Amino acid sequence: MSVMSVRVIVLSACAKPLIAGLAMLLLAGPAFAHGALVDVAEVDAIRIQARYDTGEVMGNAQVAVFPPDDPAQPWLVGQTDATGHFVFTPDDRAGRWAIQVREAGHGAISYVEVGADGTTTITQGSAGLTWAQRLLMIACVFWGAIGTALYFRRPRPAKAA
Amino acid sequence: MPMPRLVSSTLLAGLLLASAAAAEGTLTLFANGEELATEGFVAPALTRDGWDLRFDHIYVTLAGVTAMQTNTPYDAAAGGTPDAKTTVTFDDTEQLTIDLTDTDADGRVRIGSITAPEGHYNAVTWSIVPAETGDWAGQSMVLIGTATRDGETVDFTLTSADGHDYTCGEYVGDDRKGFVTDGAEADLELTFHLDHVFGRADREATDSMNRLALGFDDFAAGGTQEIALSGLHVGHVGEGHCAVSLR
Repeated sequence: MSVMSVRVIVLSACAKPLIAGLAMLLLAGPAFAHGALVDVAEVDAIRIQARYDTGEVMGNAQVAVFPPDDPAQPWLVGQTDATGHFVFTPDDRAGRWAIQVREAGHGAISYVEVGADGTTTITQGSAGLTWAQRLLMIACVFWGAIGTALYFRRPRPAKAA
Repeated sequence: MPMPRLVSSTLLAGLLLASAAAAEGTLTLFANGEELATEGFVAPALTRDGWDLRFDHIYVTLAGVTAMQTNTPYDAAAGGTPDAKTTVTFDDTEQLTIDLTDTDADGRVRIGSITAPEGHYNAVTWSIVPAETGDWAGQSMVLIGTATRDGETVDFTLTSADGHDYTCGEYVGDDRKGFVTDGAEADLELTFHLDHVFGRADREATDSMNRLALGFDDFAAGGTQEIALSGLHVGHVGEGHCAVSLR
């Protein structure tokens, strides 16, 4: 049986869904004195999914994001959605960002390195393959090697004189 | 270079080196069995099979406790060895038996303090080992207390001689821990989750913790009995899990 643990998976470092659900509000007819406007823009964002190693997602779990230059103080707090997802966009501070997720006495923390040029590198969380997944990968590589060997060993038709 | 300038340069370099060497603080290590150790399994947090447990003592023998700063954060789920760039060892814990019910005002057991170079200590390794001396020599964990259910009360002593090595990443809890700065104090915590042993009635029966936990029914006869703790992952760092291997 699997042991209860929590794993945070950073699914994408360049997704652009952060504001995808928002629509621009336009007031029909004549303008009013306190009309509201929403500007919509595409941004690069970090999306995490938090789940237990049983596969169960950590829905509505507490999320805290810590910046590289003040790593003991949360820069952003929030909750995962019902599917365990949480999306945020780091500001321009380069270094190691930490994302902590907690639910019902269990928690995990994962990290994203943001370079000075804005590039991101996931430093923990994405490599959390189960042993079954690893064995499947090994089996696929092994099977691929056998297939390749058989391909080159197959009898070849004799060339016409 | 004239001699006075050489001397002053040497002194300046020495001062710079001295100031660099002085960039260290104090790292204190605690153990914590949480309220389940100090208050017990009290309704609604009874054991998964409905027992009220109160503990007189929970002895744990620790060894080889180290704290590390790692280049790459340690992923306990992936296992392996931490990529440490700085390691400090708590010498006092070459072998140390603590009682998780004998706590300070914050409900923790102080293990020790050491002087440590500044930086973020984001990984910890430690072992639970059979005690070499004392009343419970040969045992690594001993839980002594009283269990009650439906008017039945039994006194119990549960002993385990299992040895385990724990490799843990960063502490996970209300605050991030382990940030040592020059001249200041920081702390880390080894956290023992007793609900992984006995389960909890206030969690779903299908909760994976409850599916794995032993409960107390098997020990309802009371007296001194052995308990197998392997595979239960009792040790944590706050809410963060550790990689565990049987010794």
